[in-house]
Amino acid sequence: MGIRHIDVRLCNGCNICVEDCPLDVLRLDEATKKAYIAYLRDCQSCFLCQSECPQDAIRCVAVHERRMPKAW
Amino acid sequence: MPGEQRYEDIDVLVIGGGLAGVYAAIKAREAGADKVVQVDKGKVGKTGASCFAAGVMHTYFPEEDDLEDRVRRLTRAQGFLAQQDLMQDHMEQSWDITQEMAQFGVDFVRTAEGKLERRAGRGSYPIISFHGPQLMAAMARAAIRKGVKMIYRTMVTDILTQGGQVVGAVGFNTRSGDFCVFKTKTTVLATGNAWYKGLGPGHRDCTGDGYAAAFRAGAKLSGAENPDGPTNFFPARYDIGPGMNKFVGEGGIFLNSKSERFMEKYNPTLKERAGLRNLNYAFTLEAKQGNTPIFMDMTHLKPDAVRRLKEVLPLAMRMFESVGLVVGERFTQPVEWMPIAPLARPGLMVDRRFETSLPGLFCAGEAASPTAVPIGLASAATSGATAGKSAAEYARSAAAAPLDEEQVKRLRQETLQALNRGSGVEPDQVLLSVQETVVPYDVLLLRRADRMQRALDAIEDARDNLLPLLNAYDPHYLRMAHEARNLTLIAELHLRMSLARAESRSVLREDFPCEDNQDWVKWVVAQRDGGGMKLSTEDVPVDGYPLKPERTKNLHHMWQLAEKLGICRVEKGAVKWA
Repeated sequence: MGIRHIDVRLCNGCNICVEDCPLDVLRLDEATKKAYIAYLRDCQSCFLCQSECPQDAIRCVAVHERRMPKAW
Repeated sequence: MPGEQRYEDIDVLVIGGGLAGVYAAIKAREAGADKVVQVDKGKVGKTGASCFAAGVMHTYFPEEDDLEDRVRRLTRAQGFLAQQDLMQDHMEQSWDITQEMAQFGVDFVRTAEGKLERRAGRGSYPIISFHGPQLMAAMARAAIRKGVKMIYRTMVTDILTQGGQVVGAVGFNTRSGDFCVFKTKTTVLATGNAWYKGLGPGHRDCTGDGYAAAFRAGAKLSGAENPDGPTNFFPARYDIGPGMNKFVGEGGIFLNSKSERFMEKYNPTLKERAGLRNLNYAFTLEAKQGNTPIFMDMTHLKPDAVRRLKEVLPLAMRMFESVGLVVGERFTQPVEWMPIAPLARPGLMVDRRFETSLPGLFCAGEAASPTAVPIGLASAATSGATAGKSAAEYARSAAAAPLDEEQVKRLRQETLQALNRGSGVEPDQVLLSVQETVVPYDVLLLRRADRMQRALDAIEDARDNLLPLLNAYDPHYLRMAHEARNLTLIAELHLRMSLARAESRSVLREDFPCEDNQDWVKWVVAQRDGGGMKLSTEDVPVDGYPLKPERTKNLHHMWQLAEKLGICRVEKGAVKWA
């Protein structure tokens, strides 16, 4: 819940985001060597990928992606 | 058809990639363990709660702090259920371990003279700060330098035993789906706590996998019903956090729907900087009076305060910026704030060496009972260090036992079952059922038996009717399926243990409003019993500890205050709302 976009023009296929994502949301496309969002709904919105991307290719927005049961 | 990976001849297997696990692995190596393997379902250093911690450490300063007072406060924060010898160990060791972490490359915030800078945080003693994920990146690198072998993207699902002794673990690779078998002399469980994947980022991989695996293997668990921090608090409408400790430390205040700064009523001394238990009392009583929504107001913070927040909470501050709540060096509006979910910590019971009730199994960090390890990075590090050393010593004298191949075969079938189903219940359906049952504040944060019993019925429904049909489209979904299955078990443990504690202590009960130091200076203990669970109690050995509670049974101090404030009255041993 949070990752929205990976700019394929900027992505250099370094794989850092794919390796580091705590929820394992991202994958690298074998053919194009570009990262993509494989499991968007499982993103925990931690912004780690955005902050670690050396190309500044990733955009996250801090909103819930799916229904979030709340205390009240 | 998934393949199989075998990892053998391990001296110390560390499960979990947060600070407790990394410290255990480092200290096991330093204590002479030859083959130390650390396994995580993500990547060590980028996983669990440590990487996203709120930028603070509760470190004891020998030349400035009163050790006895700090231990007393930690013990009181647990309502006297703490293992006081361990509270003493954590506090005493926290100074040296902080210095050591700096040597490992952790950048703590320092004064112009190069000393650790102490700032206001929650609690009576100032905290020290670090730079967000840098801490875990430095510690993971240190572990690799020490020769720890890392295995990533592998979720451990169960612990292997042979004649009552822990001899290994099994799990699967969350990308290939391969079944994984670990054969080890000793194991350290450092899998953190569980927040039911509730509000806020930075903990949604903490799904109680260690509690569940240990429970299934027969370990004794305690502490779920009386944690030192019953919940934490995050922005309600956005996916932002953590960092509350720093926000209130810099001067953030809570306002209710009537714009009252209500913490002045509930805790006139510390106000917003009160401990998590006190914040929970206040938030739930405000909710009960209909004074929600509650807001955190930081609009008055000066630019230098916002700069400091950006320094130690780089991720959380980016999140605020992404939705316009921070622009430049200002908060633009008050932010709605709410409890995440009840903290679920049915932790493993450990002794002073962090050995659990199962021979060969050690435990560190928040995977252990809250009575042994208080919340926070300092005690994650100290408990990890001791558990790692103890495990290495154990491994020196232990002979590697053969695996029970029948058990391995059965667990392989159980582990991969959802992957082979073809169609069935989606993991998210189970997760939502669990969340909808336990997240509402008046189930586990403000308690009454009938509400908890209804919740337990719903969890049993999910357990009996949804779990057998869980389906995983691929190995990633298999992970989600196991997380949902584990959280269902955690919710059952959490509710049963909470029903058992017939008093108000760290959490308020409407039907048992007294804090009962005559009958309830006890731990509630849960253990597997065939296909079910049995609960028992054990007396806290306070007679052997320095601090002893007065053996009285009085109306809980927060219910006394609530009566005084006209929120409720207590009649015939139960709370009646005004």
